Amino acid sequence: MAKRSDLLKRNNSKKIYLLTGILLLFFLNTVLSSAEVKNNLNADTLNVASISKTQLQQPPIYLIAPFVILLLAIATGPLFYKHHWEKHYGKYSILLAVIVAGYYVFVLNEFSGLQKTITEYISFIALMTSLFVVASGILINVDRKATPIVNTIFLLIGAVLANFIGTTGASVLLIKPFIKLNKDRIATYHIIFFIFIVSNVGGALTPLGDPPLFLGFLSGVPFFWVVQHMWYMWILALILILIPFYFFDLLNKKSSDKKQYSGKIEIKGHKNMIFLLVIILAVFIDPSVFHWVPDFSPLPFGVREIIMFAVVYFAYKGSDQKILKANEFNFEPIKEVAFLFLGIFITMLPALELVAIEAKTLGNKLNADVFYWATGALSSVLDNTPTYINFLSAAMGKYYLDVAIKAHVQHFISVDIIYLEAISISAVLFGAMTYIGNGPNFMVKSISERAGITMPSFFAYIFKYSLLVLLPAYTIIWLLFFYGRS
Amino acid sequence: MRTIKDALENKINGLYYGNRVLLPFPCYILKIVIEDDILMDFSPSSKSLYIRSTDSFTEIYFKEFKNLKENITKYEAIKLVAVEKDEDIFQMDNHIKLALRLEDNHKLIIEKTDEDILFLE
Repeated sequence: MAKRSDLLKRNNSKKIYLLTGILLLFFLNTVLSSAEVKNNLNADTLNVASISKTQLQQPPIYLIAPFVILLLAIATGPLFYKHHWEKHYGKYSILLAVIVAGYYVFVLNEFSGLQKTITEYISFIALMTSLFVVASGILINVDRKATPIVNTIFLLIGAVLANFIGTTGASVLLIKPFIKLNKDRIATYHIIFFIFIVSNVGGALTPLGDPPLFLGFLSGVPFFWVVQHMWYMWILALILILIPFYFFDLLNKKSSDKKQYSGKIEIKGHKNMIFLLVIILAVFIDPSVFHWVPDFSPLPFGVREIIMFAVVYFAYKGSDQKILKANEFNFEPIKEVAFLFLGIFITMLPALELVAIEAKTLGNKLNADVFYWATGALSSVLDNTPTYINFLSAAMGKYYLDVAIKAHVQHFISVDIIYLEAISISAVLFGAMTYIGNGPNFMVKSISERAGITMPSFFAYIFKYSLLVLLPAYTIIWLLFFYGRS
Repeated sequence: MRTIKDALENKINGLYYGNRVLLPFPCYILKIVIEDDILMDFSPSSKSLYIRSTDSFTEIYFKEFKNLKENITKYEAIKLVAVEKDEDIFQMDNHIKLALRLEDNHKLIIEKTDEDILFLE
């Protein structure tokens, strides 16, 4: 009896905790919207509406401390204090977000940035959650003999697919079939190259592919800009990584006891494929793309997000229980993304503004080489989404443009594309350098370990694989496409 | 003495209480996967778990968990490689892969891992 009441209390406290997060978002957004209206009226009266508020209200340097603390905690938590982190990450993230949001609201009296951030956060989470839940309701079985060429083609297909269903969706969908395909000859390098290709590099072609690019799209980068300007770098990166994979796999002499293969590719959970299509189409349902789409502003969501959350509900309720069991479905990975990114989105606001201001003073010292390597270095050890937006903010700062304003982002692209190219490709590619560089990396590691495969440690991953395979490839891309171009 | 085979054929359930799992047969355990932890240290000083096997059942304490039900969802399973008590553990054919699922009222469903449940030894 006592145990049951304890459990109920714990479940209730979890619900209250989640509800607090949601209420915080809506409260902030409502307060910010009404305050924003007042501010705009005042600004109109004074005829200074054209002046960006970030130029008027500069956050103090110490306000980036919550952002730094959160990123360090994300990097070190799962490695050094795993159980404590798993239990309390949500509290830390919300606490740090509240500190920064409180400072903006009560001290700086600055609302527009926060309001935009909350709207972007909800779009981001809607996409991530819907792709994750839908992909978890699909099960693929490939009954073929695993050979180096079959594996290479499999990874290549994964790379292409990642651009439609995101690196997260593609990783969830394909890691198990990839392990099953190789179950009698599986080795650590199989999983590592899967992380390189499917969980990271593959998703460099569309905003659906990787979270930084989606955030760029939400900030004003046109949807097809990425594929138009990055396809050749994407192809080269894939070639440079798949060639060593092929030779690694060629040396693997283990073979399966199974003699007969049907050659069939079986897909279970077909109706979730329709849901995937709905998500992809929903991305474009935005008032800035189609005029007929209603704008629910100042609410922090639109038709797109409503569709995506509806897909989450129907996909989860309608998924085959057997498939969910086979995929060991758990909301925990997406809950983690939701809490941590709430913290990241809000705490990175002052960092974005300060980076942009600093960039104006550094001016020409910041060239494409700096953006490529600096974005890459930080994307390797921090999450690549905030890194992308921080460096985009810095690049735009060179031209006195504000990343928070869509028209500024579009103007920036028309001025000089090399910076955005360097930042975009680097943020995606370097996310593969460590387990913590991109969300799906840890997810794939976790799924593989649940399947009984022992994965290398944090540092073994870097020194045995990333530095040997990825760094030379990324250096070649830099030399060919960025070195000496700005 | 009940065997693993008997338990699987007759769908005999195990039990769980808090962090303790009770399997209705004696067995040798070679490897356990719980969430993303691969457990292979079964020595008395192991910080992760304690295993005791009697003539009629096997019990496992997962020391890093307070209450398994709070951590393992209805779609997840604890997976283990086991061998019948009187069989040769060095014969790979004797290794049986099991998935344990936690249901309400302390009921532990024991099933052999099928094609869909991915578990490599």
